[in-house]
Amino acid sequence: MSEKKNNIFSTLSSMPAAIWSSVFRNNLPYTDLGRSKTSFNNFFLHIHPVKVHRHTLKPWFTMGLGLISLFLFLILVVTGVLLMFYYVPSTAQAYDRMLDLRGSVAFGVFLRNMHRWSAHGMVAAVFLHMCRVFFTGSYKKPREFNWVIGVILFLLTLFLSFTGYLLPWDQLAFWAITVGTAIAGYAPVVGEQMRFLLLGDTTVGQEALLRFYVLHVAVLPVVMVVLIAIHFWRIRKDGGLSRPEEADIVEPAAVGTVLATPAPAMAMATAAGGINVIEKKNYGIQGLVRGPFAKVGNVPDNSVFSYPNLLLAELFVFILTVLGVLLVSAFFNAPLEEAVNVLHPPNPAKAPWYFLGLQEMVSYSAFWGGVGIPAIEVLVLLLVPYFDRGQKGVGKWFAKERLLANTLFLTFVVVNIVLIIIGTFFRGQNWEFVSPF
Amino acid sequence: MSEKHNAQEESSEPISRRKVLAWLTSMGIMGSAVVSVFSNLVFIKPRATYGQPTRFSIGTPDDYPPGTRIALGDQKVAIIREGSKMAAISITCTHLGCIVGVSETGFACPCHGSRFDQDGNVTGGPAPKPLPWYELSMAPNGELEVDKGKEVTAGKWFTV
Ligand code: HEM
Ligand code: FES
Repeated sequence: MSEKKNNIFSTLSSMPAAIWSSVFRNNLPYTDLGRSKTSFNNFFLHIHPVKVHRHTLKPWFTMGLGLISLFLFLILVVTGVLLMFYYVPSTAQAYDRMLDLRGSVAFGVFLRNMHRWSAHGMVAAVFLHMCRVFFTGSYKKPREFNWVIGVILFLLTLFLSFTGYLLPWDQLAFWAITVGTAIAGYAPVVGEQMRFLLLGDTTVGQEALLRFYVLHVAVLPVVMVVLIAIHFWRIRKDGGLSRPEEADIVEPAAVGTVLATPAPAMAMATAAGGINVIEKKNYGIQGLVRGPFAKVGNVPDNSVFSYPNLLLAELFVFILTVLGVLLVSAFFNAPLEEAVNVLHPPNPAKAPWYFLGLQEMVSYSAFWGGVGIPAIEVLVLLLVPYFDRGQKGVGKWFAKERLLANTLFLTFVVVNIVLIIIGTFFRGQNWEFVSPF
Repeated sequence: MSEKHNAQEESSEPISRRKVLAWLTSMGIMGSAVVSVFSNLVFIKPRATYGQPTRFSIGTPDDYPPGTRIALGDQKVAIIREGSKMAAISITCTHLGCIVGVSETGFACPCHGSRFDQDGNVTGGPAPKPLPWYELSMAPNGELEVDKGKEVTAGKWFTV
């Protein structure tokens, strides 16, 4: 290099490499040091820990449901922003804009399908993710608060999809907004005020559409992004995903230099005799990090490098998610009902499937079905980790020690699914009981 | 901020100038936060609304021959005439606000299955209250007027 310093050709010919290496600080890594640095120096990768526990990578443990939720959310952001280029939040125009997507916008229908089906998928994925977290006892100390954030994320997901399906201003939208805000009106004390704030008027109309639009495209997504960021941050700070105690046992011979390992391994290490466990010195390449993953050097334990192990797993889930959404969107069109007719609700007027359980409950009592019981359910969900504080059975599906808790939760899940099934298949004209058979 | 300074701080009387300032500052910040949340709520609460007027004309009695049971969509009332008696009954379901269907035998709601008899009394379903009756009156020009701002007791007919 030095002899050719002034040669314009060599400057030019080495320019791509110079640019490349300034953007990507590391070459593709072939050593452990390289693998840590890659995770560390890249903005997108540094969300990951440098190393990840083997147990976390077992596909059946998480079933990738949290990741699927995240990827569906990302798909929703991208397709949603694209749809915004054509959408107008006006009662006079919104519905026509939906028809335009069919008629005069390239890929219009396809994007709308992707957006709608991803939204349905996200409700399902987030709910299933919550089930997996419960059935594996993963909300226990120190993860209590991440469960609470999760419950809020679930509610946000529902509210996002609710505000979303109002936007086409078709029959479904109009009657959903009518019924939904009327339910809010039943809340004690603040109910009527809340309804007025949501609608921006005394009746459902232009003001309401504008308000739900702002909530849907600006307020709620921003809150969601912030909370997802905290959710992920806390997973790291809580020492990665939960896992059973056995998962941390390493062959005694290899334990020698393990520092700051979780209790059982530590106990074994001390039992093995003559080993200096310097508890304070648990900093590593990440700087000073509390928790089971901070260690000096590359010590044998049950963890592997995130790059490439975790990344490949994530890539796999990502591809599956995108593929699923693309396939469904290619074969099924997102529903669009008739234009709003303020005199005739469709008969029967049904919400999307995930709200049909609620609709079924509301058809017995507006207050109890729409406000009372849901409020109690949310409150109990939020408090779950503070009721159930035993430390047994963490990180295992359907652990024997958690039979009672799991049975209760399973009942809750089954009851809600049964209500949804009744609302979907057993209700006909005028919400009368019909048999689908 | 030296060590010596801190030591002095701790040994001085319980309410030092620094403590008072810290207290005032935090009260100021918290107060501003409360005020700003409150003013944001005031901001998003509209002062003027664009809803329909509560009083409106529905034409002359001749437009509604005896036996009429008809729903007016924009105004969301049903106009009913039996002989020379007339009434205006709301068609907004008292359950969750869907528009009920009007038939010979009463009203039925498609949303969660509430049923009402001819006078708007609940006969089934989750509706908590009967459909309200509104005041009907005759304007000087001979047209009927409904005032949705004024409910009258069910069964209080207007004679034309
Ligand atoms: C927008 C919705 C959500 C997203 C994007 C999301 C994402 C994730 C991801 C990617 C993980 C890593 C493990 C996995 O894939 O299972 C995770 C873990 C976790 N999530 Fe969520 N989640 C969401 C909602 C929820 C909900 C509704 C709950 C529960 C009420 C919850 C509670 C938890 C807990 C406690 C963990 C740690 C689990 C463990 O340590 O094993 N999350 N989340
Ligand atoms: S809105 Fe009429 S029954 Fe619910």
